[in-house]
Amino acid sequence: MGYGADAIALSPPFALRAATFGRTPKRPMDEAKFEAFYRKTARPLWSYIFRMTGNSATADDLLQKTFFRFIRSNPAIVNEDHLRHYVFKTATNLVFDHFREIKRRREHVFEAPVVSSSHDDLRHDMMRAFAELKPQERALLWLAHVEGSSHEEIADALGVKTKSVKVMLFRARKRLAVILTRYGFART
Amino acid sequence: MDSLERDIDAWMKQLAAIDHTPRLPDPNSLWVKAKLLQSTAAMERASRPLTRFQIAAYLIVAGGWAALVTWKWSALQAWINSFTPAHIIMGAAGAQTAQSLSLTLLMALIALGSVTVMLAFHTILAEE
Repeated sequence: MGYGADAIALSPPFALRAATFGRTPKRPMDEAKFEAFYRKTARPLWSYIFRMTGNSATADDLLQKTFFRFIRSNPAIVNEDHLRHYVFKTATNLVFDHFREIKRRREHVFEAPVVSSSHDDLRHDMMRAFAELKPQERALLWLAHVEGSSHEEIADALGVKTKSVKVMLFRARKRLAVILTRYGFART
Repeated sequence: MDSLERDIDAWMKQLAAIDHTPRLPDPNSLWVKAKLLQSTAAMERASRPLTRFQIAAYLIVAGGWAALVTWKWSALQAWINSFTPAHIIMGAAGAQTAQSLSLTLLMALIALGSVTVMLAFHTILAEE
């Protein structure tokens, strides 16, 4: 089983200064500020990419690429939430590019976790259940429920209309509920 | 929040809590690498017009030589043949054997030769 390669069309990454803030940066990020931002963001970002791709090596690679792009965009420290949203949007674009590449090469990459106990078994099932969703649904659910992103932020990250996010989220939740029932995760 | 949303929210948080310890790269090395990549890209951008100019110069010089050799082949061949030892000895003895080139052709040869040498030097120095 591979993480779905049925990628969606996304808008290309946009210039951070122009689109996110709409004005010229006043305080460009230096190395120390980047380090502080990285320490706060890298781990949740890696988790997001890993849950999206199911492959830790790919997650490592895409995480680095995301931060390379982030530094290259010469971000200004206006609002840390905006910066965080920017790296998640960039990572989303890179993940979908990765899926397109997989689809082009007709590869299937899925790194199944090593199962050694019932706890690992549960983790494995949770990962497999989540992997059954389409990439867009995974991104939607992760951004909404784990990252707590607003509908506007999700729409921007996925390149869809804000109005569509609510419906898409509802459908994704319903699909996940069906999958979870099949995997025996009882609803509380 | 309806019950479906609540259940999915709880499950997603459970999924997010699964411990996967990534080996994150060092932020300082990431910063240095990114800056290096940035400066390499900037250098490439800056040298792009020069590279284009160099390619155009190669094409012009090659075209110039091809045109000159094609149009003046017989004159050039006769001139080159006049450098054989027999012709040189006869020439030294006072016989009128050496072929002469027209001034225009000679100038064209000198000009094209100079441009070729300059271009070769530029390429070698730029490589170094």
